[in-house]
Amino acid sequence: MKRIAVFLLAAVLCFGGCRTAPAKGQKQYTATFLNLFDTVTTVVGTAESEEAFQEKAQTVHDALLVYHRLFDIYHTYDGIANLKTVNDQAGKAPVTVDGTIMEFLTDCKAYYTQTGGKTNVMMGRVLRLWHEARTAGADDPQNARLPAADALKAAADHIAIDALEIDPAASTVYIRDPSASLDVGAVAKGWATERVAREAPDGMLISVGGNVCATGPKAVGTPWVIGISDPADSNRNCHTLYVNDGAVVTSGDYQRTYTVNGVPYHHIIDPKTQYPATLWHSVTVVAADSALADALSTALFLLPLEEGKALADACDVDVLWIGDEEHMTAGFRAKLRT
Amino acid sequence: MKRVWKWGDAAVVGAVLLAALFVFLLFLPKEEAAYAAVYLDGTLIDTLPLNEDVQITYTGNYHSTVTVRNGKVAVTASDCPGEDCVHSGWVNTPARSIVCLPNRLEIRIAADTSDVDFVVR
Repeated sequence: MKRIAVFLLAAVLCFGGCRTAPAKGQKQYTATFLNLFDTVTTVVGTAESEEAFQEKAQTVHDALLVYHRLFDIYHTYDGIANLKTVNDQAGKAPVTVDGTIMEFLTDCKAYYTQTGGKTNVMMGRVLRLWHEARTAGADDPQNARLPAADALKAAADHIAIDALEIDPAASTVYIRDPSASLDVGAVAKGWATERVAREAPDGMLISVGGNVCATGPKAVGTPWVIGISDPADSNRNCHTLYVNDGAVVTSGDYQRTYTVNGVPYHHIIDPKTQYPATLWHSVTVVAADSALADALSTALFLLPLEEGKALADACDVDVLWIGDEEHMTAGFRAKLRT
Repeated sequence: MKRVWKWGDAAVVGAVLLAALFVFLLFLPKEEAAYAAVYLDGTLIDTLPLNEDVQITYTGNYHSTVTVRNGKVAVTASDCPGEDCVHSGWVNTPARSIVCLPNRLEIRIAADTSDVDFVVR
């Protein structure tokens, strides 16, 4: 009789113990901000109340806002020398900038070297032509046009990284070529997310326009489950990953698109051709560092598989490539949920 | 060996079974009705139960037509530039939200119908 009782009791305990959930009294909350980096920022985390979570999320937002203003190339802010200031002074004068901008642009030069020039923040002149064509096309889809081919060719003469001069001693930045400009869209979100995540509370998930960064598991022993959207069907995940900390970043040919004569054009422009790259539908990078993951996702999107594998290897990151065929590094496979 | 049932044994079995039933019920997935929460400029302006088909147009800077059908929600028409919201398709899990940046509109599923925390796209 005792044995039956023990068995039943064990069954009860087993039933009770096989469900993983946030710690007692903790609930999962989500906050969204639409005012940062011209994209959607989502913060996910657990807290004992909505108010307690909102407070944490607001801290993350406020920290991101500082970077948003510094790296903005479209707006000026009172009392801040930001990247628009640097662009406006191209060919005129060096600009004294905040230490954060110095560190950021120094890293950008390093990414340029690491990626063999594929991730180039000096492509402002080329990217502006695409940005203008895309914005005009979105406003008036009937008359959507590609940027003029000769304008793109001419712009490509002004994308040299060496025209960006960083003087650490004077804390100044100068664009030597008056026709060149910075566009940091390929790296700024990841870099800012990395800096903010380092200071953020443990156990949060921060996504700035798809640059996802986890600051530790969502609960003790419970990793975050991150879905990777299927490029062929945005309503489906093609894979799900377990992530405890670090970054997941996807570059896809379905992001920021516009259509010209029935053909969709996306926003990831190859510095070599000045046109959107067509090798892959999406490339996802998993790395410890969100800034590196962001910079590499752009470069890997532009590179064929073998060169991409070598780059991923050299930088010690894991990658999922989705094109007509799918490829992944062994490390990526190990993080799959199924 | 003779098996003799005693009242005490029955009580133990009963108590354990009751405890089992209690724990089972406690962890039964709650039939919480999922709904879509609609935010305009960060303010909650509407909640739409996903089990009631409906179509509503929300106006901010632009006009977003939101449709609930077969337990899913989508922005089915919009006059915003780019129409990224319309391209987001039909959604029924908290891991995917629909956002229209130009109209400052966000649609988020508010009940836990998924075990995925977030979708990168």
